[in-house]
Amino acid sequence: MRIDARNLLDKLGKNDFAYKEFEDRFSELELWPMLEALLRDPRLQAIDPVENVATAAAAVAEQAVVETFEPLQTEPLSSLFSRYGQGPAASSASDRRGPQAQDVRAMLRHLSDLGSQGKI
Amino acid sequence: MPVIVCHGLKGGAGTTFLASHLAMTLSEAGADVTVLTTAHRNTLPLHFGLQPAMTLPSLFAPAEDAVLVSGINLRSHVRAPEDPDFVPTLSDMGYLETGQDRVMVIDVPSNEFAFARRVIPHASAHVCVLNAAADTLALMPQVLDEASPESIAAASFVINALDETRRLSRHSAAFIRELVGTRLLGRVRLDESVPEAIAMLQPLAKYAPSSAALADVRAIGAAVIPALETPGRPWVARGSAPSSSASRAA
Repeated sequence: MRIDARNLLDKLGKNDFAYKEFEDRFSELELWPMLEALLRDPRLQAIDPVENVATAAAAVAEQAVVETFEPLQTEPLSSLFSRYGQGPAASSASDRRGPQAQDVRAMLRHLSDLGSQGKI
Repeated sequence: MPVIVCHGLKGGAGTTFLASHLAMTLSEAGADVTVLTTAHRNTLPLHFGLQPAMTLPSLFAPAEDAVLVSGINLRSHVRAPEDPDFVPTLSDMGYLETGQDRVMVIDVPSNEFAFARRVIPHASAHVCVLNAAADTLALMPQVLDEASPESIAAASFVINALDETRRLSRHSAAFIRELVGTRLLGRVRLDESVPEAIAMLQPLAKYAPSSAALADVRAIGAAVIPALETPGRPWVARGSAPSSSASRAA
């Protein structure tokens, strides 16, 4: 860290900088083709937390995966793919994100909302 | 004597940095920690402030040959990926059991995914290090396709070297957060203090105690501590979704 940056942090009583000035709304940006291609790749479903844990639990001994915190409700990744007509969306996901969550733009709007709430 | 496997999705992700600082955090929490690198070309000593010419002793070298830094035992076993008896050996040495008295953090090179797949089912935790970068994201489908469901299910994730000043980096991190959900242990911000500390031959905590990356990696280490109580079966982060405090600078 440069000495001038460190001096500034000392004056501010902080340990590091915030980058809140770089916040932007995802809905106002073009979608990166890379991310769109990834969302269309069914192999990404393997990381789906819900399906994955269930698969692993069936494949190995019970309680093979230890959850130490209260799990949150998560949306299966497959529901994202369903927005491209590859299958039905999970009803829980529809309930959580509303009828507008039907495409990649909706995902980005969701991310934008999270950003505006300071959650990402 | 739990084992924690650190494995990057892609070379250069910062797996050795993370393994080193996980070891430091666990050691500060009271554990007797050994860090094992299986890389032929390892940079492990640099993160402990050691000279670049330092050669780490074998896992099986006698105690008098040990390299200890702040009580952390640094070891090397480059033939581990080819050793079919590696997991039984760990068991014979007393690892893969419960408790925080002795912990082994294994730094596995990204190309040794077959070895990682073999060890992870016996480990207490698998920490997968990612970069919020387009090339890393592009590899994810292939990596997931090649990994076993058990390995994927056992993985907790860390975004390393996150540059929040860059639009693509922020978007990539948001994508990863959305993808892995609550299994994201946290992110480590890009911090020039990390390479500077290496160049100064000092541990990061000594060179830059106010380092943002240090604060981030310490928080991740603290989040992994519950894994020490789950030997022989993978622990997976199930914390809250990354919040503002976890994803933004203070």
